[in-house]
Formats: sequence, structure tokens, C-alpha cells
Amino acid sequence: MRKTFIVAKHEFLATVKTKGFIFSMILPLLILLLMVFAMGFIPQTISETETPQNIGFVDETGTLQTSDNFIKFGDVGNAKKALLENEINSFFVLPANYLETGKISVYLKGGFFSSRPTSSIEAFLMDNLLRESDLDETLKERIKEPANEEVITLNEKGEVEEKSGVGFLIPYVIAFVLVFAIMSSSGYLMQGIVAEKENKTVELLLSSMSANELLSGKILGFGSAGLLQVLVWICSGGLILFLTPFASLFQGIQISWILILAIVYFILGYLLFAGSMACVAATASTVRDAQQGAGIFTMLGILPMLLLSIIVKAPNSVIAKVLTYVPYTTSVTTLMRIALVEVPIYELVVSLSILVISVLIMIKLSAKIFRTGILMYGKKMKIKDIFGYLRE
Amino acid sequence: MGTKEKILDVKNLTKSFDAKIVLNDLSFDLEKGEIFGLLGPNGAGKTTMIRIILDIIRADHGEIKIFGEEFDESLKERIGYLPEERGLYQKITVLECLRYFAELKNVKKSEDKIDFWLDKVGLRDYKKKKIEGLSKGMQQKIQLVAAFIHNPELLILDEPFSGLDPINTKLAKDILLDLKREGKTIILSTHQMDQVERTCDRILMINRGKRVLYGSLDEIKSHYKESLVVEYEGDLRRVEGVKKIDDYGKYAELSLEEDTNQQEVLKRLIEIVGVRRFEMKAPSLNEIFIEVVENA
Repeated sequence: MRKTFIVAKHEFLATVKTKGFIFSMILPLLILLLMVFAMGFIPQTISETETPQNIGFVDETGTLQTSDNFIKFGDVGNAKKALLENEINSFFVLPANYLETGKISVYLKGGFFSSRPTSSIEAFLMDNLLRESDLDETLKERIKEPANEEVITLNEKGEVEEKSGVGFLIPYVIAFVLVFAIMSSSGYLMQGIVAEKENKTVELLLSSMSANELLSGKILGFGSAGLLQVLVWICSGGLILFLTPFASLFQGIQISWILILAIVYFILGYLLFAGSMACVAATASTVRDAQQGAGIFTMLGILPMLLLSIIVKAPNSVIAKVLTYVPYTTSVTTLMRIALVEVPIYELVVSLSILVISVLIMIKLSAKIFRTGILMYGKKMKIKDIFGYLRE
Repeated sequence: MGTKEKILDVKNLTKSFDAKIVLNDLSFDLEKGEIFGLLGPNGAGKTTMIRIILDIIRADHGEIKIFGEEFDESLKERIGYLPEERGLYQKITVLECLRYFAELKNVKKSEDKIDFWLDKVGLRDYKKKKIEGLSKGMQQKIQLVAAFIHNPELLILDEPFSGLDPINTKLAKDILLDLKREGKTIILSTHQMDQVERTCDRILMINRGKRVLYGSLDEIKSHYKESLVVEYEGDLRRVEGVKKIDDYGKYAELSLEEDTNQQEVLKRLIEIVGVRRFEMKAPSLNEIFIEVVENA
């Protein structure tokens, strides 16, 4: 065990000091920061500096009253002139038969920044229409705003699922973070193994410890680096979001237990991919060979991302459920589903059990293949050979 | 010699990969304080045997005792190994690299020992330099240091002199002799027969996985007929009564046929070439090696 930790420490420090690691840790945060600025602050500043829209109108029914930003014009000609001279941003014409048809004509100037003031006009017209009626004020208010929505989703059992507005973002974030962390740390592991095979330090290491100690040290070291990456992302990402106006959107979301599950799924998912990558690396003689061999696992790893829209649209669909039970896709799929709907406990248990069993098998398998394959230099491995190793 | 402590005792070792038998019922032992030569042509099974001793791969049959004990992972801390397939981490410094290897061998206060050994191989100034900046010969010396750093009782060195210039070869040889004087036991696997002849107490030669020579050099040589050494000028091709010529252009070792008289051969030689030296001597290990492998 002592040597496992020495190897883990060595690999961890060697990895976190690389430019690639530092870059991949900082880059998503930079993107997030940019997004926050783009989505949060820019529209705010624009709306603050922009002058409120002035809307003109030509009223052929003679019922409308002017109000704050609504300016009355006698005829279309004057209104057009005002629009072209930028005195108003748009105007509309209310024809004499408006009450029967509901038709109005809206005039705008062309250009990139012009926008239809539909909702402002509707609110203005509604004010005017209701002013004439003798309904009581509360009823008038209700007509103006008939539905102040609060959406409640029910699960299959009819229980209420508490999800708030930005819930839909969570599965995307989880999928991205988890897939990236698992794939990058198992990728580092693979490169680390092949590099030691290429620079031929591996036999010297094996004269100091067993192949199992070496492999588990490497898995632990690179896994810790991956976990560090995830934690840095989550913590600083959380910090950025909570220090900005976005914080209010996240209120009421139960992050904590999703986070715990995310870490469990990260560890198990990483172990499975790490074991697979170790097999590939031990039997390859160059990094390029290894990357080719790892392709199939990379595909399986990102499959839930490719099917993201299906999973998000129908979290309980057959595809989503199948992916929940496939060891290589279960981590990401299950977490996305949890973020979207209430996943029955038994599905969670089955998913975790399948994953744990696969991890145990993979660790045994990779230890055997690693032990034999790691000292085969300059020899391309065939599937037949691998079965040979397993028998030894 | 029989009363000395056995450092390594190998009995009936057999190993095959698929259908190919790599080691075939191999037995030998190693006595404390000796330099033991491990010889054999390429692919004879030397590296496989060393890897089995270190439990890097497992034998099909056979029994190995190291320091009188069954193999255990902790024994690795008492063994130093310089593999034939060797290399170092290129992107880190000499100190970082050696410190890592030392830590794995459970060495306390490794920096003092690293300084001591770097001094000894003349690389103290390179301690903080990255390995990738070192020459091949320097890297080779760092690898030797990695094998010695934990003061092991048993050293297994696979081609330790390859890639070293004559000065560094002498340095490495002197270090080995110092270690021998300190009572360390050394297995020296090499193709440099002259080195083996000059430094090894006993040898084991394997060919196609089988033990073909085993024992002290004197014992082994006593089983072979003396050969004729000639230093000459001219063109030496075929001499009547000579079974085989190991010719170097100016120097040749001649194995005589059973009933050939040395004086007759000398007369014939003088007729063909200008003889500058003529001597009967025990056959060199090189000759024995070639003979054993060719006659196998």
C-alpha cells in the first residue's frame, strides 16, 4: 500500500504540473465567466443605457388616450415623418373597424436593432379597452394578467417533483463536467502508462513493487487529479454563479445530494474507464496505438452526450433506461435523469450495482493484462494474445 | 565455496510462452560476495530468468529462494536491478527522478545518498538538471545509481557497460569491485566476454533455455583443449590440422584437431604468414561461447 501511495503522489504531482492540466482546469471556468458576463451583465447594461421606446399611434376609432410613451398623431403622414426623424421608434394605426376585426398596422424602421413592440402595444390597447368597461378593478387586473404561472410536474406515482426554472441546465452541466473529468483523467492514465512503457522506466519500477501496486498507484494518482479538476470546477463555478444575479435562479435546487451522487458516479465511472484504458495502454507500444485502441471507450463515454437531447426530452424513455444499465454510460445518464425526474430507487440501485460489479471485474482484468502486456515492447497486441494473458 | 551463504537458489525453473519453451529445467545457485556472470546468446532466456527472479513474471514450474526465503515483495528492497530495457523520466530533474526511485525502495534521507552516488559517478553538478539534457552515457550512470541507491545486498545488472565509453566502463567496473569488497553479490549479464573473464568468479551460460555451462572459469576451461594464439602479418585462411580459426586480422585463436602436433602447425604457419607471437593457452571464454552455441 505504501508504494501505491508513493506512485499515486508522483503521478498526481506530475499531472497537475503539466500545462495541459492547468489549461483544461481553467478553460471551462473562463468560458463560464464569459457566459455569465454575456448573459447576465450585457443585456442589463444595454437596457439601462437605451432610451425607452416611444411609440406613436394614429387612432381612427377615437377611443385611445395618450400615455407615457405613446404619442398620438393626426394622420399616417405625420407619424411616418416622426418615425423617419427618429422622434418615435415605431407607430401603429388603429382602423375604424378595429373593434370588429382586431386588426392594426404596425410601422417600423428597418435595421438590425429594430424590434416589434408587440407586448407594449397589447398592454396599451388592453388598458384603453378595459378603461371603458365597468368591471371591478381586481377583475381588470386579472384580465391584464390572467396566468401567473407556477408549473408543478408530477412523477408516475402522482408525487410532486420540485424542480425550478433552471433545472434544465443542471443535466447539461453535470454531463459535461462528468464526461470531461472521467475521460480526461483516464486519458492521462493511459498516456502515463504508455509513456512509461516508451521511456522504459516500467521494468525498473516493477523491480521495486508489484504490477498491482503500480497500476493501483497510477489509477489513484490520475483519479485524484481528475477529482481535483471536478472539485475546482464545481467550487469556482458555483462561486461565480452565486456571486452574480444568477444566484436567485438556483434557489431551491437540492444540489447537495446530486453532488454526492456525482462524486460516487465519478469515482466508479472513472475506475471503469481507467481499467479499460490501462488494458489498452499496457498492450500498446506507442501513444498513437493506444489512442486508436481507446477510441471505442471514448465513444461509449460520450454516447450520453450525443443522445443528450433525447434523454432531456424523455428521461424515462427506453433509450435513457438502457443507457442507465450499460456500465460505460450509466454514470452520466443516471445523473442527468436524476436532475430531470425522480428516478426510482430500484433503478439507482441496479445502476450502481452493475457499475460496481463491472468495476470489480475490470480491475481484475486490467491487473492481469497490465502485468503481462506492460513488458511486451514493440509488439502489436492481438485479441488472441489478450485471451492468452488472461489464462496465465 | 560450498560452505558460503546462498544468496539465491534456483531449482528446476521452467517457463514457456505459448508453445515456446524459454527456460527449461534450469538450476543454479549464487554465493554471497561473488560476481556471477550470466551468459547466453540473444534470446537465450536470460532476461526472462531475471524477471522471474524478481517476480515480474511468474515461472510455470520451479522453486526460487532469495536470501534463503520464499519470494516476498519486501525482498525487492534488498535487490538492485538495472534492466536491459531501461530508461528514465525525461522531463524531471536528476534529483527528482532518483528521489522517486529511492522512495520506492524505502530509502530514508535519500538526498544524502543521492549526493554520495552522484559524486562517485562524477555527476554532482547535474543534480538539478533535467534528464533530457543529459548524454546517453550520463543517463546510463544515473540508471546505475538508481540500482545502487538503496544499498542492496544483491545486484542484478543486465548489460551495465553497454553505451559507456572506456573511461566510464572502468568507473563502473571499479564500483562493482568496491561493492564486491563490501560483501555484495552481483549478477552480471553481458555479452562482453572479456569483462566476464576478468571480473566474474563463476558463470552460468544458457542457450535455448538450457544450462550449458556452469561453474568457475577454471573448471569450465579445464574441459576444453588449449588453443593456439598467433599474432601475425599476412593472410591467414586455412591451416592443415586446425579445426577452427577465430581470426581478427592480426590476431587469431586456433583450435587444433585432436592428433595435431603444435610444432607442425607452427611450421605451416611460418610458411604462410609472418608470425610475431605464438603461444599455447587455455581457450578464451569467447571461444568457448562460440563453440558451445555453434555446436548446440
